[in-house]
Amino acid sequence: MTNNRFFYCALLLTIFSCKERTAQNTPPPAVNNSDSPRVTTTIRYARGFTIDYHDNYKLVHVLDRKGDLTDTLEYLLVQKGHPTPDGHAKAQVIPIPISSFVAMSSMHVGMADFMGIAERITGLGSLQYINSPIVRANIKAGKTIQVGLDGNLNNELLISLHPGLIMAMSNPEATTAKYKTLMDAGIPVILNAEWLESTPLGRAEWVKLMAALVNKEDLVNKKFDSVVRSYDSLVQLASQAKEHPHVIIGMPYKGSWFIPAGESYMAHFIRDAGGGYKWADTKGVGSLALNFEAVAPEALTADFWLNIGYVDRKQDITSKDPRFASFRSFSTGQLYNNNKKTNDIGSNDYWESGAVNPQVLLADMISILHPELLPGHTSVYYKQLQ
Amino acid sequence: MSRRQTLLETQGLEAGYRSRRGKPVPIAGPLSVTIRAGQLICLLGPNGAGKSTLLRTLSGLQPSLAGSIHIMGDRSPAQRSPAALAKKISLVLTDPVRFSNLTAYSLVALGRYPYSGWLGALKEEDRRIIAWAMEATGIEAYAQRKIGMLSDGESQKVMLARALAQDTPLMMLDEPTAHLDLPSRIQIMQLLHKMARQTQKGILLSTHELDLALQVADELWLLQTGGRLDRGVPEDLVLNGTFESVFDKEGILFDKRTGSFNIHSGHMKKIGLAGSGVAAFWTKRALQREGFEVTAAGVAASDIRVEEGVTPIWILATSSGRQTFDSLSGLLDALRNQSI
Amino acid sequence: MQLTNNQRKRKDIKLAALCLLLIGAFFLDIALGPVRIPLRSICRIILSLPGGDSTWQYIVMQIRIPKTFTAVIAGCGLSVSGLQMQTLFRNPLAEPAVLGVTAGASLGVAAVMLAGGSITTLYTIRELGLSGSWLITIAGCTGAAGVMLLVILISKAVKDNIMMLIIGVMVGTVTLSIISIWQYFSDPELIKDYLMWTFGSLGGVTGAQLYVLGLATFLGLVISFLSSKMLDALLLGENYARSMGVTTQRARLIIICSTSLLAGSITAFCGPIGFIGIAVPQMARSVFATSNHRVLIPACCLIGTTLMLLCDVIGQLPGSQAALPINIVTALVGAPTVIWMILRKNNLSIFG
Repeated sequence: MTNNRFFYCALLLTIFSCKERTAQNTPPPAVNNSDSPRVTTTIRYARGFTIDYHDNYKLVHVLDRKGDLTDTLEYLLVQKGHPTPDGHAKAQVIPIPISSFVAMSSMHVGMADFMGIAERITGLGSLQYINSPIVRANIKAGKTIQVGLDGNLNNELLISLHPGLIMAMSNPEATTAKYKTLMDAGIPVILNAEWLESTPLGRAEWVKLMAALVNKEDLVNKKFDSVVRSYDSLVQLASQAKEHPHVIIGMPYKGSWFIPAGESYMAHFIRDAGGGYKWADTKGVGSLALNFEAVAPEALTADFWLNIGYVDRKQDITSKDPRFASFRSFSTGQLYNNNKKTNDIGSNDYWESGAVNPQVLLADMISILHPELLPGHTSVYYKQLQ
Repeated sequence: MSRRQTLLETQGLEAGYRSRRGKPVPIAGPLSVTIRAGQLICLLGPNGAGKSTLLRTLSGLQPSLAGSIHIMGDRSPAQRSPAALAKKISLVLTDPVRFSNLTAYSLVALGRYPYSGWLGALKEEDRRIIAWAMEATGIEAYAQRKIGMLSDGESQKVMLARALAQDTPLMMLDEPTAHLDLPSRIQIMQLLHKMARQTQKGILLSTHELDLALQVADELWLLQTGGRLDRGVPEDLVLNGTFESVFDKEGILFDKRTGSFNIHSGHMKKIGLAGSGVAAFWTKRALQREGFEVTAAGVAASDIRVEEGVTPIWILATSSGRQTFDSLSGLLDALRNQSI
Repeated sequence: MQLTNNQRKRKDIKLAALCLLLIGAFFLDIALGPVRIPLRSICRIILSLPGGDSTWQYIVMQIRIPKTFTAVIAGCGLSVSGLQMQTLFRNPLAEPAVLGVTAGASLGVAAVMLAGGSITTLYTIRELGLSGSWLITIAGCTGAAGVMLLVILISKAVKDNIMMLIIGVMVGTVTLSIISIWQYFSDPELIKDYLMWTFGSLGGVTGAQLYVLGLATFLGLVISFLSSKMLDALLLGENYARSMGVTTQRARLIIICSTSLLAGSITAFCGPIGFIGIAVPQMARSVFATSNHRVLIPACCLIGTTLMLLCDVIGQLPGSQAALPINIVTALVGAPTVIWMILRKNNLSIFG
């Protein structure tokens, strides 16, 4: 069967690649085992999970938002055909490598594409927004079906589908209790928290968790390292800029404007791209709920307006609220929305491949804020609104 | 003589309601009745006979099942619109007034609704009529009190004043004396009688106050369960036995001679009574309560003779002798003890 | 009885005091906000004097003044529609929010958005320009009228006041549940926006939308005022009203029209705002000591506007950057008022 073939290939690959360990792969912190060397990975940017490598199994911790060990979820990734180790009663056991899984978020699809395992996706929370060509083909062929999101989860369908894993998103309502039925039926459920990462590289680094599930650490390590290198060099490039044009993000709704706080994902991007951000010094990784009025002074004078929302043209902006026309960014036309890479069904790839390619996002942003630094770059995810 | 103008007349009127499936359920009728100016008419009948339904039909609140009503000679439907009727008929109903925040004055002032200005402004004329209505019902003293603060009797008078303020030739009242104490009941009936006479209004009211109705009404309408209505001057109805037969059906005995209902029946023993004054009248009532059938003196085994006066004296003559009492309670005690 | 001279003087003093309070609240609402703008600058901007910071100009003219006007409109509209409902149902606790009418307005708006828009639900309200504003208003008013009709039909069968309120709450709940079904099947991102909408906001109404809202409310208020006499008659109940010349069908129709115009349009633009409709008519009745609608309707406008402006001022949490949604403030102010009213018992005919 195809699955087994993959498994044996992967096994062979890991055995061979062990001989070519590069400096990037640090040895596993546990017992040094030279009988079955394999490729491991180190987490450097992400704060939401850790992986401990052992013989024939990997111990994954998914930490809560604060990064400490309370409310941590444990997962035992056990190589198929090997026994489950003792001593981890609370951990969920996931036999790896998984050959099929169900994904609940766009980023999961993006991660799967990153390491070339998109065809293993047999189920999706919603079929409405998909960019990956492989997955779209599978949907059309009926190989990938819709299983429902959150409260809508179709348990019976999932149980009959019996994927190797369900990759869900953790949020305050989705505790493991919600998935109990499925876990009892023998389907492991892992609750990811990549969306809680506040740094671009940290968020992208969650590909390594998926890599651990399919034993593709080697491939992912290489790819991710190249992502990091590109990203870092871009940061270096942007730091040469003499000016830091001011940026505002998002759009108010009825007098309330949710502005990303100083330690948030977008705030990091702005800083790395050499932009100025009024709320750069505020604490918090989420958004600040501000009054439109409080943001107005900055919005009126900011140079650039990014990630504007569900708009495509300038007139979409003014039809939402004619007052936006007074923003300087509006009159100078420096309006850039992150929905350039949207496909025919209205799905925005920013959330899929964009999430695992922060270096491309950064390049886009630098080319917007400091066009002279990246003259040849064509924006992939951002488009200027006309 | 009063010009007895016909204010309302009906022909073959059937009052009732429609069941859920639209089937007509007749309650009263067919009736052909009239109300004339200056008349006070009391509508009597057992509970459930349909007095309220009839009143609502006559006043236009409810459509009739059959027949016609003509109010002051109106011919076209436009003249039967609520606005037109409002100047012809005013009502006092049993509906509770929930908004107890209104002052008595404001409530009475509402009676001027059909005449007041576009936004409800009151003219001098309106104020005069309101003042008159309040004076007639004697409620000036609590004009500024809230309805919720008034007693039942007082608020009923306020509703009456409101109807008076509406200044219509016809007035219809649905049990205006219910829940009132006796003095208030009498006051209201007196007032209505006076209104009919003085203002030549045609007044129709339904009531359970048989005693008062007999005294005050110019005409009685007796509605029986089943829809039949007998009408006439009260005394005629009593004398020709109609009154008795209507209530007889309900198992209640009306005594023509006294004009009241006998609670007590099934006499067990006879006793003779001699005397013809006030004291004798009341002695007879007491004896009847005790279960005696009272006959003329000399017929029964025992006799009582009443001597009238400021302090009446009762003399009881039995087979065992004579006794004298200076109070009824003494007499009654003796009767009980001697188990006569 | 005519008012004595003393009583009239007292009434005039009350009126004058209220007007002063209104003007004060109006200026307070314009003067306060997360950005500190000195009073002098505000005056200059309002009087269109040249010079001065353009950012402040923008804030005062484009953000604060429209919001203040929205507060005025909402204050008038909600209190008068509450007054009318209290009269029609002869229930001192009736108001559009309690009897589900605002829920009906939300439903109307949601329905239109679903039928018309590509992206689901109420999120897209703000997308619409002038023609869209009219569409929203009509949808909101239709929804409000529909629910009100339903409630009136039910009220024929239910005589008890308290039962009526409970039924109103139930109708409102059913309506909101229908909206929830739509939400449930729509994008998770939009749910947050709907949540924001339910909190109520006076800040989102600008330009063309403000004109449409103002017009609809004005129309509703005019209809209301012209039917003052009829409303007075209805206080005694429909039988008495009819005997005084009120055609009950027409009366109900007129009240439905004006209440749906008022509650429907305000809800469509500002989200569901409650408690103003209960509290203000009660205050108006107490302060002006009358049940005459000719006096009460303007009184409700006066008091309602003042109260709404004050709630908006409180909601801005002067001194901080964040703001409380208006619905929360009106609830915090209104609910204790209602409890106090019930405890006082005097004005409540439920117990009378």
